[in-house]
Amino acid sequence: MTNRERAMNILHFRQADRLPAVHFGYWKELLFEWAQQGKIPAEIAEKQGDGNEYDRKLDGILGFDFNWCRTYGADMGLRPPFETKVLEELPDGSRRVRNSFGIVEKIHPGVVSIPAEDDYLLKDRKAFEQLYREKMQYTEERINKAFFEKFNESVYEKTDIPIGINLGSLMGDIRNMVSVVGMSYLIYDEDEELFADIVNTYAEMQYRCVDRILSMGVKFDFGHYWEDICFNNGPLLSPELFRELCFRHYERRNGLCHKHGIDIISLDCDGVTDKLLPTWVESGVNVMFPIEIGTWGDQFEPARKKFGQKVLGVGGMDKTALRKDKKAVDAEIERIRRLVSLGGFIPCPDHRLMPGTKFELVQYYAEQIKNIRI
Amino acid sequence: MSITEEISEKLQKGRAKEVAALVEQAMQEGTAASVILNEGLIAGMNAVGEKFKKNEVFVPEVLVAARAMNAGLKILKPAMQNEGIKPLGKAVICTVKGDMHDIGKNLVKMMIEGQGIECVDLGVDVDPQRIVEAVKESGAKVVCLSALLTTTMMEQKNVIEALKAAGIRDQVKVMVGGAPVTQQFADEIGADCYTLDAASAAEAAKAYFTE
Repeated sequence: MTNRERAMNILHFRQADRLPAVHFGYWKELLFEWAQQGKIPAEIAEKQGDGNEYDRKLDGILGFDFNWCRTYGADMGLRPPFETKVLEELPDGSRRVRNSFGIVEKIHPGVVSIPAEDDYLLKDRKAFEQLYREKMQYTEERINKAFFEKFNESVYEKTDIPIGINLGSLMGDIRNMVSVVGMSYLIYDEDEELFADIVNTYAEMQYRCVDRILSMGVKFDFGHYWEDICFNNGPLLSPELFRELCFRHYERRNGLCHKHGIDIISLDCDGVTDKLLPTWVESGVNVMFPIEIGTWGDQFEPARKKFGQKVLGVGGMDKTALRKDKKAVDAEIERIRRLVSLGGFIPCPDHRLMPGTKFELVQYYAEQIKNIRI
Repeated sequence: MSITEEISEKLQKGRAKEVAALVEQAMQEGTAASVILNEGLIAGMNAVGEKFKKNEVFVPEVLVAARAMNAGLKILKPAMQNEGIKPLGKAVICTVKGDMHDIGKNLVKMMIEGQGIECVDLGVDVDPQRIVEAVKESGAKVVCLSALLTTTMMEQKNVIEALKAAGIRDQVKVMVGGAPVTQQFADEIGADCYTLDAASAAEAAKAYFTE
């Protein structure tokens, strides 16, 4: 049985010979740590990216079968993106940098973290019309036609792992353009209509991108969104407003996937996602990912109880166990067994493996997972 | 509806301009600054905090309410000084070294200020020694430490160790928070307080100043 068959069978509640050992990538610092310890070649540490050839080489070393995030799609961001520009060098060594989304970030030297948002361009209607609207339009240049024309033979048929189409992001990208603070101000007292206009404009462009690729007859096993719009206490905006702004766009895009035979649609959202799940599930999203149980306490079981087999899961393995010892990993695997027995669930570390993760424990985990029969 | 109730209501809706105008009006009508502060602005922020804890409102509502509170405070400040109204006390707040996330820290700061406590905000990626110095300079009674990452949460322990080394650990209450932080972790590193959300943090901080 191939990894593609294994994964798709499990997510369709069919028999599989065993669980696939799936992961969600690594913090770069961990790979450098492992390279320094002599566990992996430095070239892999430098060049690994989700689903690329170095990721696959690392899969071989660690015993993983595949990275869930092997997706392909159009250029669905701002086009052209803003030129990344250093605006100011500060006396403490930090820099104020305007990024490709138009956010001004304060970057501290040597700090490995998400940069601090300092300012943003998209504050009002004028900025949207003058700086952003055109960057959110659909153009044929967003699609790499030559690549997708040969995709089935050169990519899909050449691998045995599930391949996804990137379905984009409705709220996560927009949050990246205006920051959480800016999003709040736009929604609540500066220009509610403007915020809806931004969401609708961006969503239309992304829909057309997905439509164009699928209309070319390109084969995919699943669709995949990225949002990251929740934190440890739930969503970053009210579930009602989220539904009002986004539901019809998800439903339309998911409908497109269904029309082309794609019935597995996953959505990557960190944090505690339960308040937004109804919107996603009702619109046709059916795979929770990565289900951050360790850091944020997000859970799969309550979702399954609430939505039944409409909800599938990829993730939910507490990655912090991989920094501890075999006993902790064994305990985590025992906990996961229960979730696997529910069906429609593939365990995967609940986010990127972080610095301090023990190389040998990862190998041990991957081996144990592959021993689990379905 | 009294004017202070109206201030509270508009604040909860995040209407900054209207809050500022109502505070101005209340002052002109002779309402004491302490009444405007406690029954209008602080009451409004408390209501937002309660709703936030119950998931009835979300981060955007807290942010716009805090902005409305600041708009009101700006108008009210001279009158507060005239009446001799002082903050309950001072709290040093920051995101620990190596961590640039500031949304959680800012939410806690807004809620704490909403309780009438002055915050010395050291920002993000803050070295333990700088926190020690800020405590010494400000005389703060509370230190609030935020960390979003599993890789930076141990810095909260380093701050506690630095406070011990400087001989001022007993002078302050150390509150820790952030996504990966738990009560168990807080106990392990010797923090005084852990809360699940910003509103609970503000309540806990207030208790340290009123106990």
